[in-house]
Amino acid sequence: MCETYDDLIDDYIDGTRAADHPGDARRAAFESHLAGCTRCQAVVEDFTSIRRMASALEEHVPPPRLWAKIAGTIEEKPRRISAWIPIAAAASLALAIAGSTWLAWMKSPADTLRQVTATVEEPSEAPAETQYEQAIAGLQQLADARNASLDPNTRAVLQRNLAAVDRAIDESRAALSDEPASAFAQESLFDALDTKIALLQDTVALTAEDVNQ
Amino acid sequence: MRTADLELAARCRAGDADAFEELYRLHVRRLYSLAVRMIGSADEAEDVLQEVFLQAHRKLAGFRGESTLGTWLYRLTMNHCLDHLRGRQAKISRATGSLDEEGAVEPVAPTPVVPSAISRMDLERAIDLLPPGSKAAFLLHDVEGFEHREIAEILGVSEGTSKSQVHKARMKLRMLLSR
Repeated sequence: MCETYDDLIDDYIDGTRAADHPGDARRAAFESHLAGCTRCQAVVEDFTSIRRMASALEEHVPPPRLWAKIAGTIEEKPRRISAWIPIAAAASLALAIAGSTWLAWMKSPADTLRQVTATVEEPSEAPAETQYEQAIAGLQQLADARNASLDPNTRAVLQRNLAAVDRAIDESRAALSDEPASAFAQESLFDALDTKIALLQDTVALTAEDVNQ
Repeated sequence: MRTADLELAARCRAGDADAFEELYRLHVRRLYSLAVRMIGSADEAEDVLQEVFLQAHRKLAGFRGESTLGTWLYRLTMNHCLDHLRGRQAKISRATGSLDEEGAVEPVAPTPVVPSAISRMDLERAIDLLPPGSKAAFLLHDVEGFEHREIAEILGVSEGTSKSQVHKARMKLRMLLSR
């Protein structure tokens, strides 16, 4: 019965052949059947024509007013852009990029990085901000040393993100200077410092990936 | 590719209007073509695409890079097109079929029935008559060139369903084009 081979007819049209699947007896049986079946040959010929014509269909061109309408609607609802949105975006971007490489990096002999990041995790007599600064300085040194090995586009993105974080750190420090007792300003500063450490860790992880490749 | 998508999405989320326009320019032609063919009306496709990009603008925060931005936008577009068709069907009870419709088995002719010279318009008209489910899979596979694995992701179905829907579409087109 030809109908039992319906699913294989489509695979055949789409380029999957018995030779690609050694041991697939059903596929091989279909191709033997096809050689002598005018009905299946007709379907193959028609499906091939349909597929060829479909892939050659031209694109429809959207009218220019479509973007104008979309842009107009977006502008009617302006988003309140705070200084933290670029930071969050930068952090999520960098974390997403590094996600798959970070574990591999941590399994490599990255003792230097671990020593550097440990400075913010271990108890210390030094003030918290000083510990952050020490960790950032160490990571920055590592990142600077390996920065040249990064893909230029990735390096540009990371540098833009770090610049955004630095601006946020400056703003937080200014706010804390105006209101030294403000817990919110203190928390904002630590958040920004945490973000910078995460970004630098990601930068170092990405450079490690390039080095390991 | 994935890194470029993540960067563009991050710039959009950060409120960079140029980045969102870049995203639009990169994808709008293919998405608009898909919507015109799914819906069968350029005017309605324009409305649907407007909704797609406004929703994309709102939902970019949820884009985590598990799929490419293109696949993500195709999914949004297809969902909007299918919703639009369901709404239209409910209003005018036009015989467009349903997503789960089991297409009638067409008789298999013993010789080729599709004329060797078919105009683009003939094929476009025939595609417009397909039920939404098989039309969606056919457009994504035979027109847009996606693999069944990608179509399964875009339509939220299994690969087997995607293959089955493409087969139904080809059989239906074969019948329509032979008339």
